[in-house]
Amino acid sequence: MNQLLLIVTIAEREVGICAAEVNSVIALDGVTPVPRAPDYIPGLTALRSRALTVIDCARSMELADPVDLSGPGERNAVVIEYDEHLYALLVDGVSDVMEARTQAAPIPGRLAPGWQRCGNGMIETDAGPVLVLDVGAVVGGPLAVAA
Amino acid sequence: MEELLADFVAETREMLEAVGGELVAWEAEPETGERLDAIFRFVHTVKGNCGFFDFPRLEKLSHAAEDALADCRNGDRQPDQQLVSAVLAVIDRISDMIDAIEAGEDFHAADDEALIDALSPDAAPSASPAPASSSDAATKGAKAASGPRSIRLPVNLLDRVMSGVSDMVLARNDLARRLRENGDQPTIDGPFERLSAILADVRDAITRMRMQRIETLFTSFPRLARDLSNELGKQVMIDVEGGEVELDREMIEMIRDPMTHIIRNAIDHGIETPSERLSKGKREIGLLKISARQAGNRITIAIEDDGKGIDGERVLAKAIEKGLIDSEDGARMAPAERRRLIFTPGLSTAEEVSEISGRGVGMDVVRANVERVGGSIELDSTIGSGTRILLRLPLTLSIIPALTVECGGQRFALPRASVEELVSGKRDHVEFAQVGDSLLATLRGRRVACLSLADILGVEARKSVEDATLVLLRLPGGDLFAISVDQILDHEELVVKPIAPAVMGTGLYAGTTLLDDGSPVLLLDVAGLARDADISVDTRTPNEADEDKAATDADAPREPVLLFIGLDGRRRAIRMNVVSRIESLDPSAIDISGGGAQVVIGEHILPLAGLGEGIPADTADSAKLGLFRIEDGQSEMAYAFSEIIDTAAIEQDIIPSESVGEIEGLTLIGGEATELVDSHWLFASHARVARVGEAPVCRLPLDDPWSRQLLRPLVEAAGYRVIGQDDDEDAAIALAAVESGGETPRAGRVIWLRSSPEAAVDGPESIYRYDRAGLIAALGDARSGGGR
Repeated sequence: MNQLLLIVTIAEREVGICAAEVNSVIALDGVTPVPRAPDYIPGLTALRSRALTVIDCARSMELADPVDLSGPGERNAVVIEYDEHLYALLVDGVSDVMEARTQAAPIPGRLAPGWQRCGNGMIETDAGPVLVLDVGAVVGGPLAVAA
Repeated sequence: MEELLADFVAETREMLEAVGGELVAWEAEPETGERLDAIFRFVHTVKGNCGFFDFPRLEKLSHAAEDALADCRNGDRQPDQQLVSAVLAVIDRISDMIDAIEAGEDFHAADDEALIDALSPDAAPSASPAPASSSDAATKGAKAASGPRSIRLPVNLLDRVMSGVSDMVLARNDLARRLRENGDQPTIDGPFERLSAILADVRDAITRMRMQRIETLFTSFPRLARDLSNELGKQVMIDVEGGEVELDREMIEMIRDPMTHIIRNAIDHGIETPSERLSKGKREIGLLKISARQAGNRITIAIEDDGKGIDGERVLAKAIEKGLIDSEDGARMAPAERRRLIFTPGLSTAEEVSEISGRGVGMDVVRANVERVGGSIELDSTIGSGTRILLRLPLTLSIIPALTVECGGQRFALPRASVEELVSGKRDHVEFAQVGDSLLATLRGRRVACLSLADILGVEARKSVEDATLVLLRLPGGDLFAISVDQILDHEELVVKPIAPAVMGTGLYAGTTLLDDGSPVLLLDVAGLARDADISVDTRTPNEADEDKAATDADAPREPVLLFIGLDGRRRAIRMNVVSRIESLDPSAIDISGGGAQVVIGEHILPLAGLGEGIPADTADSAKLGLFRIEDGQSEMAYAFSEIIDTAAIEQDIIPSESVGEIEGLTLIGGEATELVDSHWLFASHARVARVGEAPVCRLPLDDPWSRQLLRPLVEAAGYRVIGQDDDEDAAIALAAVESGGETPRAGRVIWLRSSPEAAVDGPESIYRYDRAGLIAALGDARSGGGR
């Protein structure tokens, strides 16, 4: 049985999140801002009477400016549990679930620092190689590494 | 003792269950050694445990079975069908007896001799008693089910249930909101109401399930103190009180480290070396007193030492040296504020970093941990005579009473424990003064720093500070400050969940929760807000501080009291410091005889007051009865009430009552006339019941665990007050071990105990230490002799 990957788009790239880590995919609705929180945390949202911390993945990887949630359009988020806390990872889109063909391997070539930090290696799928996201690094944000 | 007994019953039951399977297997093939071992262990353990308790029949039975099984194990005897039946019969009888013990009944059924005889190898192959067991089985099962039973559960299972229930509360709130949105739906609303009520009950029960006696935490401290003091060459006596107070299990775990740290500090920095102590005219042995008490839904734990106290000057000097505050600010600080600096991060007053403390974990961490669980910490210290640290904690962790406020169009929650007062900027004539960058507000002559919550959070306030509502908050150190918010919304009980570390990192929030409408709301961390705005202390100038102090002195007495409604329906108040605990009891625990009332609480019988003018008939009707346990340091008694209203302080003069009696006088509390209960009179008139015939004193070698744990309860049950080997008091009698070889203890009479059943030939007259009857008789003799 091969590992399954959820393919999402972050900052116009396709990356994979291990399906085992994913609780669900939700349409983000009503985010309560958290004043003074790091800018990659747009706020909190509620899912089935539990509070989730929303993570702006692109911002966490320093690939884009903080997201503006007030704009129109539906936004998808991937719900994961990390270190006993629930997070909603804000992504540009969720496209597919793919089966991993190989084990994670180091990525040849240069990557932007954000991808470097949050990547867990590369996995071949039927649709070509994808980067696997290290959710811990993403929810930790840019500060976690500096500290 | 009762608890030990319950443990014994539970343990025996557990073993009975386990051994049940073995028995059946053994019956099928009596020759198998393993089975035999398991059954042997069971009867052996039961026999051993019986030595602690007074169950001669149980002991005799298990002993007989053990003997027979031991013979089989040694190979002296071949187990046969007859022996198996006999052992089975004995085990059934043990099980019946355990049921009887648990129910508190005497066990009368047929004599045990027949069972014991059946065990002997040459017993006639009679109609063995074994069949009785199977025919009994059905009735036995029914009986066991009817009595109170206990089971043991893994704690994490309880935790899971608790968190499940918390989630259910949230889900219910969510559902409630959706129902409201859809308007009235009678067919759904009824069952939903019922569901809510049931959920509330379940939550209550689960909360109680997780309660644990604080004893479980306290028991490790004497050892800690002993080890530490040995290491440091100090002598410390530890005195623990109030171990029966119950606290959420998780809370106990959360305060374990902070308390350990405080105790280490007290022994390391507080208590002096014996020579130092002697030169200061103190007793060589330092005293460390740890006590817990419950008032309403809060617990207060006090840790007191009689050491050298905290030198505010030195703390200040250190803080200045480390650049934590500047010397000008420091010079203006009141002594209490200087001492409170020990809670500042990055400060350690230890002269040198020692093995015990000064490992970089300071009182600031202790404070942070205590605050994290919704508690607060207070410090009180006098140079030369000691330090007292008070921890105030909520009973449970996960449900916090909170005040929700609005600021910048968003809602936030504040823990109600920190909220001192709500003030409307305009209506209550608050004066504001801008000093440099900071805004000060003057409330009733008291000047406090005033922060705008919107500014701290970087959001836009809807109202100017002057128009806004002020929330007066109390910092754990006791300082006050105000924050302005746009609007006060509501009081709510919130199920608070931890918050993601990245958000926690802001230092402004303590947790998150969902409101009834399903939206998340952040719980603000009061200390964090103050830290963020750099207020750690009052902004009063020393002059003002002195004035304020004078003013409060003039206001005296501001004694804290508990407001309650007596059984006769009158509004009363009782001084808080005499109340040691609040209990709720079944009225059947009250016993009225010979003009006095008593109440049974746990293992104590206390004189009871507050029943009114001999109208106990009322009390029999009410389901539960509230009781204050009050204490004057020596004796304890109870005072009945029907309902607690609140805690308050005596603000006005007390108008003494005309006649001497239960009521000391009248005073105004919260604008209403309130009768103040005269605690002195209560003790003078009721507690004498407890003092009649001053208990004779018995001296015991308390440093010996056997004497302390096993002998002491027996001696106390015989009506003696126990003192230690080295106490100066005169003792009527003393108990001492022959084998100790020590000198004869000082007492009117000495009872010698020996550890072997046979008396030594040349020793003094002595009693075998497990000869319960002999010992009790001797104690009784000594007592009647002593009474002469």
